[in-house]
Amino acid sequence: MKYLQSALTILFPVAIVLVIGAAVLLAAGYNPLTVYSDLMTEAFGGQRRIAASLSAATPLIFTGLAAAVAFRVGVFTVGAEGSLYVGALMAAWLGFTLTGLNGWLLAPLCLLAGAAAGMVWMLPPGLMKARLGIDEIVTTLMLNFIAIGLTTWLVNGPLLAPGAANSSTPQVAEAARLTRLMPPSTLTTGFLIALALLVTYAVWQRRRIGGYETLVGGLAPRFARAAGIDMPGLMLRMLLVSGAIAGLGGAIQVLGPIGRFVAGFSTGYGFTGIAVAILARGNPLGILIGAVLFGGLSTAGATIQLFSDVPIEIVNILQGLIMIFAVADFGLRGWFARRTARQTAAEGGQP
Amino acid sequence: MSEINGADAAGGPRLGGVGLSKSFGPLKANDRIDFAARRGTIHAIVGGNGAGKSTLMKILQGLQAPDAGTVLVNGAPVVFRSPNDAIRAGIGMVHQEFTLIPGLTLLENLILGDEPRRAFGAIDRRVAGARAAELADLAGVRIDWTLMEEEAPVHMRQAVEILRLIYRGADVLILDEPTAVLAPPQIRELLALMANLRDQGNTILFISHKLDEVLAVADEVTVLRTGRVVVSRPAAGLDKAELARLMTGEPVTAPTAKPATPGAAVLELDGLGTGGEGAVALEDFSLVLHAGEIVGIAGVAGNGQDQIVGLVSGLMPTLRGRLRLAGQDITQHSTRERRALGLAYLSPDRKQEGLCLEASIAENLIASHQRKPRFGKAGFLNPIAIAGYADERVAAFDIKCASPQQPVGALSGGNQQKVAMARELYDSPRVLLACQPTRGVDIKGIAAIHQEILAFRDAGGAVLLISEELEELVQLSDRIVTIYGGRRTGEFPRGAAAMERIGRTMLGEVAA
Repeated sequence: MKYLQSALTILFPVAIVLVIGAAVLLAAGYNPLTVYSDLMTEAFGGQRRIAASLSAATPLIFTGLAAAVAFRVGVFTVGAEGSLYVGALMAAWLGFTLTGLNGWLLAPLCLLAGAAAGMVWMLPPGLMKARLGIDEIVTTLMLNFIAIGLTTWLVNGPLLAPGAANSSTPQVAEAARLTRLMPPSTLTTGFLIALALLVTYAVWQRRRIGGYETLVGGLAPRFARAAGIDMPGLMLRMLLVSGAIAGLGGAIQVLGPIGRFVAGFSTGYGFTGIAVAILARGNPLGILIGAVLFGGLSTAGATIQLFSDVPIEIVNILQGLIMIFAVADFGLRGWFARRTARQTAAEGGQP
Repeated sequence: MSEINGADAAGGPRLGGVGLSKSFGPLKANDRIDFAARRGTIHAIVGGNGAGKSTLMKILQGLQAPDAGTVLVNGAPVVFRSPNDAIRAGIGMVHQEFTLIPGLTLLENLILGDEPRRAFGAIDRRVAGARAAELADLAGVRIDWTLMEEEAPVHMRQAVEILRLIYRGADVLILDEPTAVLAPPQIRELLALMANLRDQGNTILFISHKLDEVLAVADEVTVLRTGRVVVSRPAAGLDKAELARLMTGEPVTAPTAKPATPGAAVLELDGLGTGGEGAVALEDFSLVLHAGEIVGIAGVAGNGQDQIVGLVSGLMPTLRGRLRLAGQDITQHSTRERRALGLAYLSPDRKQEGLCLEASIAENLIASHQRKPRFGKAGFLNPIAIAGYADERVAAFDIKCASPQQPVGALSGGNQQKVAMARELYDSPRVLLACQPTRGVDIKGIAAIHQEILAFRDAGGAVLLISEELEELVQLSDRIVTIYGGRRTGEFPRGAAAMERIGRTMLGEVAA
């Protein structure tokens, strides 16, 4: 029942989107079946393409997790994008500055520094939320613009690679680069770190005291407070963890596929991560599926227009639709809750 | 109070049902219900939680369609497709939560939606005022129609809720637990108002689980149990014990309290005060609670009880005064620190604060204990230890459930409250702050919860009991402190507590 429920909540929006998307494609004069099968082939047909999709999914796993850990305790942050940028820039800066260190030291150092930067970036909104009750949606959203502006300015000025015309830092030291798993694909050990983090999250969620306290705190904040749980402190901590995860994701993009910090490198990973988290309803496996789905769509979208006349905008429309329907609840949860309530009521001889 | 019974002038059936059935999945909420409320009578519908009262009311109001059976209006079958159909048939309902609108006067609330008009659409206040005075006269109540809704006392607002239905042309009034928010003198007024309206030919469906009130005012009684009609008969000749037996299917004996043997002071409230932001401000409130005693706080809702609960639980910051628990000053302690010193808190708001309805029974049972060594170490929870603890608590408190893994929201009110009690009484707390412990709990659940509270006291626990049920306070408390407008107005030891005297101090009279 439980597995059926999580599977349905993830797949139902996708199914609806496929139907609506088919209508859009038909109206635009394409055969939806061909387009869909092309998309599937481009995303997951063969080792090389799977690797590309998983590589594209990697940052989304981080941002999806970043959103999920905060949502769990009822903090609706949209700040993953900002943390991702500052984490990425921090990792790049250390990566091209500390060129004397060897790989075993430099890469972990860059990753940790990226996570720390992302975490620090969430400190002001976290304190404002915990101490003053200031709405985190506004503060984290605004911090995104600041992070993007700040990093762009830095790589156009003080941190600009000598001789480079575009807004980017120098390449990080080769020692700092993450190992490619399936060259020439850009899939790196960063994906393995993402998976390890997902497993950690799954264990934390079910077995750690923090997992329990965030669960009841998110579902029933007044209940948690009455039970003696320090809700403001918990919200602050989860927002910091969220920032650290997003910052780590940014660092991994830099040390992995990109090799340096490029202004505006994120295609909205932070925001797609929110859709992934909501689609997954906080479930770790769901985050993986959601991230791979969006990752696959983006790689397929990029290549499909090379080989067919389907414009990339069609793929973007599909992506947007999935996000919209991911947010819509469809009352499925309510429906399940009522159904289970009735069943258990009957079994327990209640009420 | 039985002089206001009077079924002589009763007429033919006004509102009733034949074979009304409604199922939710496998649960039969209403199972072939037959009843008929006759014109000009007060017909009580009584039953415990989950007996099917609210489903029946929803059918009679047109909010839900029955799966089978028919609603009868004036003896003829009707189909209500919406609440509007029921209103057109002259049926109106007063819910437990009032629907009057703040910012309008009582008179404006009365006429809202059907205002008498003068030329050019202006409201004719003279006609409206005359009509309102006439209604109040008929009902035999005094109402200051110029009061703003938020300034009017609760019994006046309730009378307006009722008169508004009559103003709109209803002659069948469904009153859902109307006395829950009132103090005893006001309850008598309300029962008299109901009798007056009945004598003028209105029909009243009186939903209640307070047996004294039912016996005092009802002409006929329909008893529901697990969705079925147990009996539908005249009230004359019924007594309380018999009615309780009909409701529960077995004799119910209220637990009797042994005399208390108070020990050392464990909880001291010393000159507590709050700032008043819209709400009543608590002023210079002091109280000493000893081990092994139950102290009840009696007052009409909203006279400072919420503030006492907030200050003692630590959910509200203390502005003035001091608090001591087990000899330690806890004025600045957080809720967690207070709990660590032995405070347990049974919340009045079970659905939002007392329980996490979407979480499982086990998850609710470990709340506030989750960091104790029994449930895990090094920050990890031990699922086996938690499951063992949950089974133990479910058995000890006789919580009726399929498994401790089911969501607590699926339980009946009484069993939900037992989950909260089982959690709060775990690990021998020193003080139990118990607020509305039996709100929304049926008669059997009430007995079980009272038993637990008394057992806790007998084991040396101290209980600060805050309740709107005066009967419960009198039954359990070793001392009763009355509160009005945020101040103490009296203190009554067990036995000396005549309900009527307490009732007067609850309304502001200071006890000599």
